[in-house]
Amino acid sequence: MSVFGPNELLEDVFQKDLCIGCGACTYLCPYFRSYRGKTAMLFPCTLDQGRCWAYCPKVEVDLDDLSQRFFHRPYDKDPLGFHGSVKISRAGKQVGTGSFQAGGTVSALMSFALNKGYIDAAVLTDKDGILPVPRLVTDPDDVLKCSSSKYTASPTLSALNQAIKEGHSRIGVVATPCQALAIAKMRSNPMSDEDFTDPVGLVVGLFCTWAIDFRAFDAFISKRIDVNKVTKVDIPPPPAEIMEIYTDSGKVEIPLDEIRKLVPNSCSYCIDMSAEFSDISVGVLEGRPDMNTIIVRTKRGQNIVDEAEKEGFLVLDNLPKENLEHLMWAANNKKKRALIKAKEDGLINTSQEDKRSYLRVRPETVEEIIS
Amino acid sequence: MSYLKDNIEGAQYLLMGNEAIVRGALEAGVKVAAGYPGTPSSEIIESLSKVGKEMDIYVEWSVNEKVAMEVAAAGSFAGLRSLCAMKQNGVNVASDFLLHLAASGTRGGMVLIPCDDPGALSSVNEGESRYFAKLVEIPLLEPGDFQEAKDMTKWAFELSEELRQIVMLRSVTRMSHASGNVEFGKLPASHVHAEFKYDGFILDPMEGIMISAPVGYRHAQQQEKLKKARELFEDCAFNTYNGPDKPELLIITSSACTLYSREAISMLGLKDRVGLLKLGTTWPLPPKLLKKYLSMTDRIMIVEEVLPFLEENVKILAAEMAPEIGVKTFYGKNDGKIPMVGELNPDIVVNALAQTLGIDYKAMPDEYANKAQGVAMAGTPSRELTFCPGCPHRASFWSIHNALELDGRKGFVCGDIGCYTMAILPCGFSSLKTSHSMGSGSGLAGGFGKLGGFGFDQPILSVCGDSTFFHTGIPALVNAVHHESNFTMVILDNSGTAMTGFQPHPGLKVNALGDEAPSIDIAEVCRSMGARVEVRDPFDLEETRKTINQLIEDKQGVKVLILRQICALSPEKKAEKKYDMTIDEKICLGENCGCNRVCTRIFRCPGLVWDKEKEVTRIDEVICTGCGVCADICPAGAIKKSSVLKEVA
Repeated sequence: MSVFGPNELLEDVFQKDLCIGCGACTYLCPYFRSYRGKTAMLFPCTLDQGRCWAYCPKVEVDLDDLSQRFFHRPYDKDPLGFHGSVKISRAGKQVGTGSFQAGGTVSALMSFALNKGYIDAAVLTDKDGILPVPRLVTDPDDVLKCSSSKYTASPTLSALNQAIKEGHSRIGVVATPCQALAIAKMRSNPMSDEDFTDPVGLVVGLFCTWAIDFRAFDAFISKRIDVNKVTKVDIPPPPAEIMEIYTDSGKVEIPLDEIRKLVPNSCSYCIDMSAEFSDISVGVLEGRPDMNTIIVRTKRGQNIVDEAEKEGFLVLDNLPKENLEHLMWAANNKKKRALIKAKEDGLINTSQEDKRSYLRVRPETVEEIIS
Repeated sequence: MSYLKDNIEGAQYLLMGNEAIVRGALEAGVKVAAGYPGTPSSEIIESLSKVGKEMDIYVEWSVNEKVAMEVAAAGSFAGLRSLCAMKQNGVNVASDFLLHLAASGTRGGMVLIPCDDPGALSSVNEGESRYFAKLVEIPLLEPGDFQEAKDMTKWAFELSEELRQIVMLRSVTRMSHASGNVEFGKLPASHVHAEFKYDGFILDPMEGIMISAPVGYRHAQQQEKLKKARELFEDCAFNTYNGPDKPELLIITSSACTLYSREAISMLGLKDRVGLLKLGTTWPLPPKLLKKYLSMTDRIMIVEEVLPFLEENVKILAAEMAPEIGVKTFYGKNDGKIPMVGELNPDIVVNALAQTLGIDYKAMPDEYANKAQGVAMAGTPSRELTFCPGCPHRASFWSIHNALELDGRKGFVCGDIGCYTMAILPCGFSSLKTSHSMGSGSGLAGGFGKLGGFGFDQPILSVCGDSTFFHTGIPALVNAVHHESNFTMVILDNSGTAMTGFQPHPGLKVNALGDEAPSIDIAEVCRSMGARVEVRDPFDLEETRKTINQLIEDKQGVKVLILRQICALSPEKKAEKKYDMTIDEKICLGENCGCNRVCTRIFRCPGLVWDKEKEVTRIDEVICTGCGVCADICPAGAIKKSSVLKEVA
């Protein structure tokens, strides 16, 4: 596959309003920067090929190629992507206390991995008020400071680029599905760099149905509450259908239908609910606010989960069958909707000479998912 | 020690036109001089400031041209000879006072010296000050060479005193900035006493009150003065004729165009065919004199720069005299022989003459012009208009540009007058989207800031230099604060009127005569108006950028950001380097992904040079000022700065 550069990134992603602001293209060079949830190009760049385009999860994502590379088989119709065990989990006693969402599994895994040297740095998402802030952490105790979910799109991968620049070689990342996809592209060495070594030691993916545009969200809630006083934002598992915003003076509930209006266009093309290109994926568990759903996808993921359980960082249990079925149903729905829309809008499997695609995957797989 | 005050009568000096004007003023015994810096006028006040103390002259760089004219007028009202100097558009600023001053009249001789800039070599306009003389009904003089510049200035004071009226002596760039031989006259003894008399008869020009009313009376008196000037101009030695008694064509010209016309006539060998009437008194025109020369021939060419001021006025006279002198054919602006835009030069006049007289001659054949152009393009390095090495403006606009791009709401900058006007160009990352007159950037920004009710939601910045702030920036800021406009005024404070040569302004602790003076704190002025004020060092790129983003996100009222860093060329800096800059060639990413020459392709400080062979950046140590900013824009850390160690004596 040919690699293009910054001008094509503008054309293929920015101008099509597909940028989700994941941060993959930022801090690689002096040109792409993230600010308040938006990625900006500060100055024109004339290069024909660049990492900015090559790492972007919104252009020429070849799912079969990536799947082959990481899971040694083509992409298929499984709603949860390639995976091993699917269980439920929560943080064990060895993990300190933090303001976890659900079971605290993500914080448990990252602090365990840092503690035991599986990774030498962790790329996490902290917050400043309601603004998500990428954070590079090397002290396990700092992991918990970044706990709790953020629902606005975050340029977290800018911290990954920073970590690589600083010379970290086994970096752990907590990533949304789009961020995990960008990491997968980056790890596949698209620029064919001779000195390339994979700097990523662990990817913990987060379930995601959509994210909210930060600037739209900021404008939306600024009219209702003082954003500086927000302490926590939560979307409880279905069927609640609300967003809860906690402030010093209590809780405000906003119907999810209103929040969905703030979801960027880009999310509607996303086929991935469970962060399929990660080592371990974690999400909420319906009906059990104290637990998470956990999907293990790779050997190293399995190894860390096993060791974390053994060392008291993680408590695992079996996932009830109806939960798994519902999870698959929801994940499949997201895929279906996204593929139909991408097809309609001509963003998938376009002829190479004609125009570049957002997504490439075998057409028979597309049909299998849609039907 | 200035040679301008040498008291050697008859000695010859090579003087710049502006110096010749100053010498004329000194010979006239000028006692009060004020102005606002502006090319090509600045050397007048500057030269006077150097001799002011010794020669007992009060000289000041005023806050703006209107105030300068008022300060000079006060000297005149108190019986002293005074002058004010400014560039062409400065007269626009002063014109309201000028209108009233022309009506009240003056006492001690007072001369207004505007220096126009045809071709806008150092301007953003091609304004004409001559029309003001006609508009406000005062006499206009235009020197045609350097000796005249001196002699005519001296005479202008005498004329002003004779008429009790301000006299305009207008120069142009090629008169002010070119040099020629000037023979000195005597300097007067310097004993004057200043007193403003006001208790005589109310309408007495020398002892009454100075006011433009009663309007009917004063206006009529003003026109009497103009009539008297017209009579005096009939025999004025500054109006000269060279040529045959019956020329085929008569050129009427003035100012620097005299030199171009003379050269053109000589080049074409037309001494016996073309007459040259050079006028020194161009408003009001002396009709008898004009009648005499217009009667010589039926073909008249008017040679002057920019607008057809002389042409129109001569044509009016010719129409009035037509029954006696006959119908004339005119060549000039109106028929397109002489361009109405840009400077003239001898070639243009040669072509106009050749065309009019049917001479087959081209001043510069096309083939030659193309060849010359080709050689110039091939042989000269491409040097774009840019900020100097180490210029704080480059750093300021870097941060402004980046803040606006990050913000992403199509924000823009309203520009103003100074070196920073160049930020319309790539050297300022094309940040400026408007630029007009002094102070107008902030006035415009204040206006944009009131358009929210119409859905306007772009962030607005204005930039304003420190001297510009005092000149006309303050009223714009006052207006915006009072009307609760929403924008950010960025004051680019580089500690002086840098573009015109570091003249002092009220923000500094020194005045034009070099004396210590109380300085006015820009930040305190802005705060006292109720604006939110931040002060930053533009060399701290990240802090400056962050502050700009915060300010443009603040939707409440007027914000002022003062970016304070002394001009790299400032004499006070004495080329002192803060850092030694070096490049680590092994780290430099060059054209690779991750940099793509951001320092030499985008930032483009002239001190950074792209080494094509090695494919790395080099520091040009000769011109690098060691500001250290480029080290902060290098994404790889290849540009290193190390503090310059001061040697201990």
